[in-house]
Amino acid sequence: MSGADFLNLVIAALLLAGVYAAMAVGMTVIYGVMKIVNLAHAGFLMLGAYFVYELYERGGVDPLLGVVLAFPVFFLLGVGLHRTLIRRLPVSDQPTLASLLLLFGLWLVLQNLGYLIWGNADRAILTPRTLSVLRLGPITIPTVRLVVFAGAAAALAALELVLHRTWFGRAVRALMQNRDAGRLVGVDVEGTARVAFGVGIAFAGAAGGMLAMLYSFSPDFGSPFLLRAFVIIVLGGLESFAGVAAGALVLALLETFSIQVLPASYQPAIAFSLLVVALAVLPGGLAGLWAGLRAKRRRWA
Amino acid sequence: MGRLEGEEAPLGMTAAPAAAATAEDGGGGRSRSSRAAAAAARISPWLLGAALAALPLIGPGPNLIRLLFVTLVWVTASVAWNLLGGFGGQVSFGFAVFYGLGAYAAAVALNAGLDPVSSCLLAAGVATVASLAIGLPTFRLKGPYFAIATIGVSEAVRVVMTNVSATGGASGYRVMERGAFHQLQHFYSALGLAAGAVAISVLVRRSRLGLALVAVREDEDAAADLGVNPLRAKLLAHAIAAALTGAAGGLHARYAAYVNPQGEFAFAISVAILLMPIIGGVGTIWGPVIGACIYGLVHDEIIAAFPQLHLLIYGSLLIVIVLFEPAGIVGLLRRLVRAGDRRGRQGGRGGQEGQDGRGRAHAAAAP
Repeated sequence: MSGADFLNLVIAALLLAGVYAAMAVGMTVIYGVMKIVNLAHAGFLMLGAYFVYELYERGGVDPLLGVVLAFPVFFLLGVGLHRTLIRRLPVSDQPTLASLLLLFGLWLVLQNLGYLIWGNADRAILTPRTLSVLRLGPITIPTVRLVVFAGAAAALAALELVLHRTWFGRAVRALMQNRDAGRLVGVDVEGTARVAFGVGIAFAGAAGGMLAMLYSFSPDFGSPFLLRAFVIIVLGGLESFAGVAAGALVLALLETFSIQVLPASYQPAIAFSLLVVALAVLPGGLAGLWAGLRAKRRRWA
Repeated sequence: MGRLEGEEAPLGMTAAPAAAATAEDGGGGRSRSSRAAAAAARISPWLLGAALAALPLIGPGPNLIRLLFVTLVWVTASVAWNLLGGFGGQVSFGFAVFYGLGAYAAAVALNAGLDPVSSCLLAAGVATVASLAIGLPTFRLKGPYFAIATIGVSEAVRVVMTNVSATGGASGYRVMERGAFHQLQHFYSALGLAAGAVAISVLVRRSRLGLALVAVREDEDAAADLGVNPLRAKLLAHAIAAALTGAAGGLHARYAAYVNPQGEFAFAISVAILLMPIIGGVGTIWGPVIGACIYGLVHDEIIAAFPQLHLLIYGSLLIVIVLFEPAGIVGLLRRLVRAGDRRGRQGGRGGQEGQDGRGRAHAAAAP
């Protein structure tokens, strides 16, 4: 592998990591606030993909604008689902059988709706941007990847701002740290959970739209990404936003470079192996590893 | 209603109310309807088993035998899932792994000339090893890790099996067994395995392992404080469940004489194995059996009638059960018996009604 190839792969991995982070962060928000693993995440990724696709095919709406529109639409969808279904789940500090099964059922329903509406043919969003490339000397970057990365980074930055500058963000962070203590100091648990669920679904839908600009998709589109999102949030330590970014980068690097040695059909197995290794070696996620290293260094110093 | 009772109990079932209900029934006056129901519940498994064993005597068609064979395979897998998911509260979305590995192991063993019993044992063994590989990293940690890992594992194994050329890759693998095909032999082996699975389920429920599993389900930290080793309990239950599911897969592979990655490792298999105990009544002895019987007998009809809608139906069913009747059909039956009971008591001694306020909690009790 020449130096230019290496650089190209690193850049490709970085660009992929942005989308992966946007895809996983919705799951982290929901897990952090409600301790619910959103198994229906894959279904919303798929719906987001078709949302952007339909807007583009029928209305000629630019896919990037479609992704922006997906945020409010899927936010409302999430809030509605929380009102009708999620609210009825028992409150718990860890994922319950009931919550896993409910969201799994919801995933099956969404997937079937996808098949009913769009059939099982593969679709793709093809714009003039899709095949154009940016050349900087030896480095080539597909324009669409750059655009999607910019979109993902902007969305993540906006979320970061909301979490650190607004009352809602404070409530979210408080509930992530300790639900009971949050309640004691007057956080509206149910209201915050409702908005958090909406935000989680909004990110799922928008990330689905971003992924649809990069890959072809069918109603089964979400499931390989569900596992990837899990791996990322486990690597990130389940409840940390910086961890999500680091986890996304690790997975993206591993997947991008593994193409050199492994056939592409083994890709789904990579995410799973990474999950097993992460659980066996660093149960606290990358953040835990980092904290452990820092503690060790302090002991040595 | 609609909200689940009992924050700490997954699906709102606890073992304690079961004991309370029994004690109360023993002390207070039992009504005729509840006594009749209890008697029926005690006899019906034996009747069912005897009826199934005797069934071939009246000479049903091969189609019915096939349907019953498949249903019995499902019963085994459903009871197995319930050992870990029902008693231990550890949801697995990946039982197709054990089913598929068992099927492949049995297929390879049969082709190598092993006898059916040994190949089934080998299938169970391979599945057990796989259960340890999944369980060891994920069960050490509390939280959703196990459920998360199981989502991907069958996908990963299917990808690998699709690319393994020794077993035919994506185009599947044929089982070539010498000798004539005796459908009844298959039927009786499936009946035996299903009966064995139910017996194991009863034994586990009554053993220390069963108590440990329920304790882990209710509160893992508290269980650990009381001297239960959660990792050991979960691993053991997972291994037993995997062995049974693997053997079930092996039986089916021998019957079908053909295995392929898209079939044996299909996501739909994992969904089915999870759905059956939940329909019937998760965490109970007979719920998974009832659920599997219904699923086994009705699934083909549903596929035929609604080829485009079966995932939607199963998904909605899951949502409705979780929200409205977490104890499944067994819970529904218990509630009906309870209601009949109450009406009987009202006729007899009017005053007893008040102390039955917690009736629903009792109605949803195990086993």
